[in-house]
Amino acid sequence: MSHIDEGALHAYLDGELASTERKTLEAHVAECPACGARLAEERALVKRASQLLGLAQPLERPAPPLHQLRQPRLMWRLRMPLAWAASIVLAVSLGYYLRDPRSGMVTQPASSTVATADDRAMSAAAEEKAAAPRERRQLNQSNRLNDALTGGAVGKTSTDSHARHTTPTSPPAAGVVAARPPASLRNAEPVPAVVPNAAEPAARAEADLSMLRGRLVATEWPVISREPARRILGAEPVGVPGLPVRDIRRSPAGDGTVLVEQQLDAATVIQLFQRPATAERAAYTAPAPMRLDRSSGAREYAAADRLARFVGALRVEIAGPLSQDSLNRLLEQVKPLP
Amino acid sequence: MPEDIADIYRSTYRALVRFLYRKVWDAERAEDLAQEAFARALVHKPENARGWLFVVAANMARDEARRAARERRHLTLLKSEPETVRSSPEEEIDADTTRTRVRAALDELTPRDREALLLWDAGMSYDEIAAQTGLARGAIGTTLARARRRLVEAYDAAIEGGGGGQHVAHR
Repeated sequence: MSHIDEGALHAYLDGELASTERKTLEAHVAECPACGARLAEERALVKRASQLLGLAQPLERPAPPLHQLRQPRLMWRLRMPLAWAASIVLAVSLGYYLRDPRSGMVTQPASSTVATADDRAMSAAAEEKAAAPRERRQLNQSNRLNDALTGGAVGKTSTDSHARHTTPTSPPAAGVVAARPPASLRNAEPVPAVVPNAAEPAARAEADLSMLRGRLVATEWPVISREPARRILGAEPVGVPGLPVRDIRRSPAGDGTVLVEQQLDAATVIQLFQRPATAERAAYTAPAPMRLDRSSGAREYAAADRLARFVGALRVEIAGPLSQDSLNRLLEQVKPLP
Repeated sequence: MPEDIADIYRSTYRALVRFLYRKVWDAERAEDLAQEAFARALVHKPENARGWLFVVAANMARDEARRAARERRHLTLLKSEPETVRSSPEEEIDADTTRTRVRAALDELTPRDREALLLWDAGMSYDEIAAQTGLARGAIGTTLARARRRLVEAYDAAIEGGGGGQHVAHR
């Protein structure tokens, strides 16, 4: 019999030879010292390769219960009525707050010098402090994603500033923080980025409500394809580069708003509301009023609690279950979808 | 059948995460993708759920890689594993270095050899690997032999080239 090829030796060592082939091989190896030596060599190789692969594996963490993989959607369905009630309460509170001239809610353009990177970092630090562990993981994911998208520049700035300002000597501008766009975006006309100056529970509720509203919108807005979206907007729809687009939707009110939903990770979706900017620019010279009526489609989610900016000819708002700072950083990435 | 998927989930989840991790090199992302694959399996209820899961997972990992390439960004986040607790920074650096070397060694394999090796390490049989990769069953042994040899050689070459102080035991 000729010598055994290495494929058969590996199949034998992997326990994948049929019994007759196995017996034939074993009989040959018993008589052939050369093949016996090769078998020992291949056995060492199999073991070594397995050890090397074992050096490159993730930390073992327990698998979440299988039923939890479906839970989020069910949970949202159950919590929808509660979400509406909570959003109305929050909207009334915010509306009252916005009307108080002494509250410090002063809208300022982003091109002013109100907010520096350090201010933003302090704002981010406060939000991170308020975030529950679940949200913190999402924030981490968002930060990691941002690091990936920006080569780490944004995340590092935030982290470094955070370290320098563990005991801030001056608070950020109350109520409204105008986000400074990155250098590459400073030519675009910015829109004030609004961050409610609320206590930690309120900030948390804000984040939750933002997510809840998103889920509600997602069930009511018809899904459309890319071409109709382009027609509605008169331009390419925009999104955060590198994130898969889950759905493109249009406003049921026919007000020219398109919603791009993108998957941040398996459990997190961000929403980018966009519409032609021309009709909106005038409206944003003054603070947008809080609207409570449910009949006005997208406008019920008016700008008081959403970050927004202009991207080319579009006005884009972002919403999602992340901190305002994270959303703001994602919004800074937005550009026309490839 | 959901019951079957529950069994497969218990027996295969870790293997699927490991398989994905060696493709996306991000532990959290690998877990997210594995959970997404199982969530899809719950909806689609495929007949051969185990094989189906690995096909879906491989496709998702491939989509990730393509997107990363398109964006010209590296989604390699080898150091961003906050849950990883090690006893000292030195150990952490060592683990990162080792993982990076194994990753580089895996990159030296042809895509087909690498796929066969990762599927085998994830617990797939020769029959399952053949079905997944399109290779003849009789060619799997040879493919794995070549993949293992190349992996070990590439890793050892990196150790020698990098002047690492680790013991090299074989070939």
